[in-house]
This record gives sequence, C-alpha cells and structure tokens, in this order.
Amino acid sequence: MTADAAPSGHPLRILVVEDEALIALELECLLDDLGHITVGVACNSSEAIAVGRATAPDVALVDIHLVDGPTGVEVARALAADPRTTVVFMTANAKRIPDDFAGAFGVIAKPYSERVVASTLAYVAGCRAGRPQAHCPDGFSPSPACAAAR
Amino acid sequence: MHGRGDDRFRLTEARAAATGVTDGCSMTHESAYPPAVAPATFALAFDASPTPMIVTDARAQDNPILWVNSAFLALTGYTREELIGRNCRLLQGPETDQQEVARMRAAIAVGEPVALEVLNYRKDGTPFWNGMTISPIRDAVGRIAYFFAAQADMTDKRRAESAMRGTNDELERQVGERTADLEHALAQKTALLHEVDHRVKNNLQVISSLMLLKARRTPEGEAREALQNMAERIGALSTAHRMLYSDGDVAHFNLSDFTSDFLSDLEAGLDPERTRIEARVEPIAVAAAMAAPLSLMIHELTTNAVRHAFPDGRSGRLTLDGHREGDTLVLVIADDGVGLAAAPSNPAGFGRTLVDMVVRQLRGSIVWAEGVPGTRVEIRVPLQAVA
Repeated sequence: MTADAAPSGHPLRILVVEDEALIALELECLLDDLGHITVGVACNSSEAIAVGRATAPDVALVDIHLVDGPTGVEVARALAADPRTTVVFMTANAKRIPDDFAGAFGVIAKPYSERVVASTLAYVAGCRAGRPQAHCPDGFSPSPACAAAR
Repeated sequence: MHGRGDDRFRLTEARAAATGVTDGCSMTHESAYPPAVAPATFALAFDASPTPMIVTDARAQDNPILWVNSAFLALTGYTREELIGRNCRLLQGPETDQQEVARMRAAIAVGEPVALEVLNYRKDGTPFWNGMTISPIRDAVGRIAYFFAAQADMTDKRRAESAMRGTNDELERQVGERTADLEHALAQKTALLHEVDHRVKNNLQVISSLMLLKARRTPEGEAREALQNMAERIGALSTAHRMLYSDGDVAHFNLSDFTSDFLSDLEAGLDPERTRIEARVEPIAVAAAMAAPLSLMIHELTTNAVRHAFPDGRSGRLTLDGHREGDTLVLVIADDGVGLAAAPSNPAGFGRTLVDMVVRQLRGSIVWAEGVPGTRVEIRVPLQAVA
C-alpha cells in the first residue's frame, strides 16, 4: 500500500482548482507529502484556465463548484484540450459531470481520503507513462472513455 | 297505427317472404323446420319480433323492399306503404358513411352476408345508428331470391361509448395533471437532496482539511495525535456519507461497501507483512440513520485493535465479521493480539467510551471478551429500532 506514493524522481506537476481555501491548502500539503509539485491554485474558472495555459500542468484536480458557480466543467474542457494535461474532477457533486466527462480522466468523490488521492495520482502517473494499470483505485471513478481504454 | 287492411297485406307479403325462405334457402336444410310449424307461423313470429327486420326482392329492379315488420316501422317512422317497393337507401342521409355503404353493396353484389353499422335517418330527419346484418336467401336452384336484414338501433350504445370515452379522457387528463404535479414535486425534492448532500460532503471535506492542517502545524506529540485521530474519525464518517445516496437508495446504506472502502483506508497505513485484516461482511442494507454511528463504531474498534493489540513489532490478524440474524445485525471484531488486560491504559479509553455510547444509541448490546488469544468484541444491533 505504501507503493501508492509517487515514485520519487517522477513528481507530477499539479494544478489545484478549488474554491474552498482550506481544502486547497490541505490538498497542497498532501501533494507535497506525496512528492508532487503544486504549480498553482485557482478558485474561479477564468483564473483556472489562465493558470492552466501558463503552466501546462501534468494533472489538474478540478472541483465543479467554484467561486463563479458550477464552472468546473468548462474549466475541465478547456484544460483537457491541452494533451499535456490530465484532468481529474474532485467533487461532492459528481451528478453535474456531463456524460463525456468534459474530457476529464475521471472523478475523485468528495469527501475523499488521503489514500484515494495518493492511489489515484499513482494510477494517473502510470497511465500517463504508458504503463497499463491493473486496478483502478477505489474512490476514483474513471470516465467512460478512460474505462473503455483500459 | 295500422288498419286491418294493412295487416292483411302485411301477412300476405310476409308469407310470400317466408315461403321464399322455406323454398329457396340453400344454406339451411329443410329439415331444420319441425314439420308441425307452418311457414306462416314464422312470418307471424317475425312480424311480432321486437327486432326490426326487412326482406328485399333481389330479383326485382333495384332490390326493392318486399316486407317489413312493425318494429322496423317503429324504428324508422315510415309507414309500410312508404317503404314497400323502395330501395333501402331512402334511409341514408348526409352523414351516412359512404364507404360502409359501398362495402354493403359489394357484399350484396357477390351474395355474401354482411354486417355493418351506419348512420341512417328517420322519416322526420332525425339520425340513428343502424346496426344491421344482411343475408342472401337463395331459391331452389341457388340463385339469390331475397335479402333478409335485421336491424338494431345502436344510438344509445354509441352515446354510452362516447360518454365513456369522454369520462376516460377526463380521468386520464386528471391523472396526467396529478402525475405532472407529483413529478415536479419529486424533482424539486431530488434537487434539494442533491444540494444538501453536496454541502454536507463538502463541509466534511473542509472539516477534515481543517483538522489535518492543524495537525501538520502541531509539534509531534499527544496534541498532534489527537488531531490526527479526530481527522480519521471524520474520515470514517465521510466514507459512510459518500456511500449514502450513491445508488439512488436514499433510505439505506450498504454495510459491506462501507467496510471494504474503510478497511482499504485503514490498511493503507499498515505494514501488510505484519498486520492482516480480514473482513467478511454480508451486503446488509442498513437504515441511513445508522450509517454514521455504525461507521464510527467500526472505526474505533478496528483502529484500536491495530494500534494496541500488536505492540513491539508483534504481527497479527484482525477479523471483521458482519452478518444478519433475523432483524439483528451482528458484528464481531476480533484480533489475535495481546488482549485487553495487557494493553496499556491510555487515551484509547476514549475510543471505548465512544463505542459504548454508540451501541447504546443504536439500542444494541456489546460484549468485550478476552479471545484465545487477543480480544473479541461482539455487537448486536437491532436493524429496525433506530428511527
């Protein structure tokens, strides 16, 4: 289970899109513990898209409800347009995710545990590196496209 | 209404028609008539019948009416004189369905029996629904000699059917309206449930983040451990809450789904070589109100066990068994560790207090026992009692 932690030397560059400052801050600490790099934290859609364009992160963790409303879906669509970025929703409102997942890779349901974040990022890292992953972590639901590709 | 002369005429004609029947009906064996019953008796019987009937002359030009009974006169309002020698089309009018009339003519032309229902008109112009059956009557050599038609006034039946349809339409409209109202109310309720559910989940995440952030900023020691323990308890509640409403069943939560997720979280922090966790939990649907207390209780018992049962690098096994006995949920959490007596008395006492409180809240019972070896805790909780 400790293998869930990111392999050192392969940290992911992560953009956090979250309007709750406390959740964002704690998530940053967790990502740091896991050996990843937080390239930015955005709390509304325009900021998220701007930071995403400027940093081209490996992974964007995107909440659906942001300061300017349920705009996380369009943020995901904009960020997923860049093939360098894997978008993962992190939301308590998974019912708002459209059928095509707006190009996102999957969703981590809130409230999440640190273990689910860790194992999901390890899973994403493996998929990005082209290593087929045997098991999808529980607490993480892949998008239909991602599930079909497995 | 009719004079004597009328009657005599009528009977003569009727006899002629009836004779046609006996002479020529190729479809009926002559033996169908009991010899004792004279053909005239049939004519009398037909004339007295409440069913409107006519006989037409198939061999004459334009198939004129040869005989009518009194019931037919009563139905149409015509006198016998006005009908005899005329074709039946005098009953038709502007609203008569010409397709049905054509169907009738086609059947008559080929000598087939036919049944139809058309709108006809009385002498005074009032319409009525005329349901009739027309049968050809053949002579001795098989040629069609007459047509016999029996009628029935279907106006009342039509009206009743139409009224029934109207009533049905109205009922359906009312049911449709009520259904739409209920669907609207349900949609609002569902939207509200999702909104509240979303807020609760988000708040649990915020509370958990708060605890963990404070723990990170607290020097190692008792305070930090307490904060982390609290964050774990909130995590257990969060896991339970995530399971609620997830498959559309708002009233229940699945205990085995919860334990499998929760134990994955617990195992993540353990050395798999040293501590094994085995769970056998039936997929029991538990009332949603029991989700939080049950998840807290399972959290306390399992974390206590992995924390205190295996000190000094001791390896061991923790089992969690959950099953149903009638209306009772039975949970057994057992370890093969050092046992209750050997465990150091410490703040874990809070965990035990918490468990006792929760069991009382659930109106259940709990037995703490020394296992052989280790500790065995058995909890019995009624599945229906919690409101």
